[in-house]
Amino acid sequence: MARTFYDEMYDASGAVRPHYQTFARWLADTPAELLAQRRREADLLFHRAGITFTLYGDDQGTERLIPFDIIPRSIPASEWRIVERGCIQRVQALNMFLADLYHEQRILKAGIIPAEQVLANEGYQIAMQGLNLHRDLYAHIAGVDLVRDGDGSYYVLEDNLRTPSGVSYMLEDRKMMMRLFPELFAAQRVAPIDHYPNLLLDTLKSSSPLDNPNVVVLTPGRFNSAYFEHAFLAREMGVELVEGADLFVRDDKLFMRTTAGAKQVDVVYRRLDDAFLDPLAFNPDSMLGVPGLLACYRSGNVVLANAIGTGVADDKSIYPYVGEMIRFYLDEEPILKNVPTYQCRKPAELSHVLANLEQLVVKETQGSGGYGMLVGPAASKAEIEAFRERLKANPAAYIAQPTLCLSTCPTFVEQGIAPRHIDLRPFVLSGKETRIVPGGLTRVALREGSLVVNSSQGGGTKDTWVVED
Amino acid sequence: MRLSIRHDTHYHYEDQVRNSIQYLRLTPHDSERQQVLSWQLDLPRPVRAQLDPYGNILHVLTLDEPHESIVIGARGQVEIDESREAEHESQSALPFLRFTRLTEADEALREFAMLQSHGRPDRSGLIDLMHALNAHIRYQPGATRVETSAVEAFAGGQGVCQDHAHAFLACARSLGVPARYVSGYLFADSQDHLASHAWAEAWLDGAWYSFDVTNCLAKPERHLKLAVGLDYLDACPVRGMRRGGGGEQMHARVDVAPLLQVQQ
Repeated sequence: MARTFYDEMYDASGAVRPHYQTFARWLADTPAELLAQRRREADLLFHRAGITFTLYGDDQGTERLIPFDIIPRSIPASEWRIVERGCIQRVQALNMFLADLYHEQRILKAGIIPAEQVLANEGYQIAMQGLNLHRDLYAHIAGVDLVRDGDGSYYVLEDNLRTPSGVSYMLEDRKMMMRLFPELFAAQRVAPIDHYPNLLLDTLKSSSPLDNPNVVVLTPGRFNSAYFEHAFLAREMGVELVEGADLFVRDDKLFMRTTAGAKQVDVVYRRLDDAFLDPLAFNPDSMLGVPGLLACYRSGNVVLANAIGTGVADDKSIYPYVGEMIRFYLDEEPILKNVPTYQCRKPAELSHVLANLEQLVVKETQGSGGYGMLVGPAASKAEIEAFRERLKANPAAYIAQPTLCLSTCPTFVEQGIAPRHIDLRPFVLSGKETRIVPGGLTRVALREGSLVVNSSQGGGTKDTWVVED
Repeated sequence: MRLSIRHDTHYHYEDQVRNSIQYLRLTPHDSERQQVLSWQLDLPRPVRAQLDPYGNILHVLTLDEPHESIVIGARGQVEIDESREAEHESQSALPFLRFTRLTEADEALREFAMLQSHGRPDRSGLIDLMHALNAHIRYQPGATRVETSAVEAFAGGQGVCQDHAHAFLACARSLGVPARYVSGYLFADSQDHLASHAWAEAWLDGAWYSFDVTNCLAKPERHLKLAVGLDYLDACPVRGMRRGGGGEQMHARVDVAPLLQVQQ
C-alpha cells in the first residue's frame, strides 16, 4: 500500500519549504566531515552531562543516551500560533473538566460522558471529591502529544496530565545546537525557549495562595528513568530536589529535613505517580512517598503539582470526549483535531477493530510510554494473533485508532540523511494564565518506517524551532 | 438500642521508635442508622479531626519524639436504630465499582458470583451469594493475614470477617453492583467473633444495604459503623508507619455492651 507522508522540510514536489530554506542552504554548504565531527561532539557532550534515561523492561537497568539528531524540526510561526492556541484551549478545557468532575459533575449530568466510564475509572480519585484547589487548577504542567497526518494537519494523539517528561531534552537540545552551530542562530530568528524554567517556577509558585511559597521537586529517586530531568529542573529553578525520605508530615503540614532543621514545604512539583504519594492512603508498599501527605494535602496545607487524580482526564478512554469538553466548558470549536478512536468496550466497535487489526494501532487505555501497544501495519501475523487474544480477554482496557501517516523530517542515519517519522510534545503551563514556550520536544523514530517515537522504544530527539515566516 | 464501646489498643516496641504516624478511623459519625451520643479519643497528644476521602472521621497522629509504646483509647455511646435497613447518600456510588488489589475478582470468583446470585444482581441474589460465600470461606482465625486478597482467601477456603467482606466486594463488583467495605463494631451475645468487625455494603435501588457474610446477616443489627472505603486499607481503624522500633506487640481490647436504659 502506497502511503504519502507529509515531510516537514520538503513539499510534495521535492522543493524546500520556505521556512527551511536558510537551514537547507547551510546544510548544503557545510562540509560532511565537519557535520560528522560535530555529531560526535554532541554525543560526547551529552554523555558527559549525564543526559541519559533508564530503560524499563531491561534487566540491567541500562542507562542509555537518547540519540540526538542535529537536523532541527522547524515550524513556521504562523502555523505555531494555531498549534499554541489549540493546546491552550485543550488544557483549559481539561482543567475545567477535572474541576467539574470532582465537584458538581455537570458534564455527567448533561449526559455528555457516561458517568460510569469516568467514576469507575482507575484514574478517578475519590480523595479529590469536593476538594477545592487554588485557581481550580489540576494539571499545572501538561504535555500534549501531536502528530501530523498525510496532508500536514495536526492531530492530538494524547494529553499527558500526570507527570509528563521530556522538557529537559527540549532545553538541552537547544543548548547543544547553539553551542555546535551558533551561526545558524545568527542567520535567522529562532524563538527562544530558555525561559521555560522561570515560567515553570512562576507557575508552581502561583499554584499556592502564599506570596512566596517554598517549592521543591519530588523525585522517586535515581533509578527512575527521568531522574536526570528531575535534577535538571530543580537546578534550573534553584529549588531543592527531594525524595520521599527527605520529607515528613507533622500536624498536617509538610516539612523537609535540612541541615538547619525542619523547613515547611508549600508546593511539591511531584514526579511520582498518585499511587506512590502516601503509603498510608494509596499503595501501602510504596517506599517513595511521604506517609501522611494525603491528609496534609486535603487540609490545604500543601499544593501538589500536578494535583492528584488528573489521570482520569488523560485516560485514552476519555480522550474521545475532549472535543465535547471544549464545546461544553468553553463554548468554542476545538482548534486541534482528535484522532478518530474506536472504544473496544463497545461491542460494535470491538468487532470492527478485531476485523481490521492489520490497519489499526491498538493501545491500552491506561498505558503510556509505548509499552503494550500494537501497530497493526508493522506487526507480524503472530503478533497480531497474540494481541487479538489479549484484546478479546479484556476489551475495555483498549482503544484503537487508524494508523496515521505521521510526518517525516530529514534525519541523520547510518546511510546519510533520510526521512524519519516525528511527533511533537509542547509543554503547557497553567497558573495565573496558560502559557507555552514556542515549540516543544520533537521525538523521532530512528528505525526506518517505524511510527513509535518513544525513547524507551528506540526513539531520538531533535531541536524544535519556531521561525518567523 | 444503645451501645457502649470501649476500645483500647496498646502498641509495644522492642526498641525506641524514632517517629511514627498513624491514620486513625476510630470515631463514628451520625447517620440514618446511628446517632453518636458521646465519643472520646484518648491519644498521646491532641489531634485535630478531619474528614477522609470517604467522609470518615480521620485523626492523623504524628509522634516525632522517641517512644517505646503507643496507647490509643476510644470510648463512647451510640444509639443504633435497628429498624433501619439501608442508608441513603447523595454521592454517586459508581466509584465503588472499582476493583483494588485486595478485592480483585479472578475467573473463579466471577463464576461463583454469577452462579450463586443466579445472575440476579439484586438484593435476593446478593443474599444467596452471601450465604454461599459464608459456606465457601470457613471462619478460621489465623488462616489469613491482613494482606490476604479476596482471590487468595477464596482459593484457600478459610478466613476472617475481612476476607469475607473482600470476597463479597469482589463478587458484587464483578456483577456490576457498587459495593464498599465497612469497618466497625458488633455487639454479639456469643463471643465467638471479635467485637471489632468488618462487613460489606452494596448499592441497590439508591441506598447502601449491609451484607455481613461472617454472620449471614443481610440486615444490620447491632452493627456500629466506623468507616467505609474501597477495601480494608481505606477503612481500617488504624493504619500507620514508623521509623525504628524493631518488633511490635499489639494488644487490643474491645468491649461492646448494651447500655441499660432507665427510661425510654
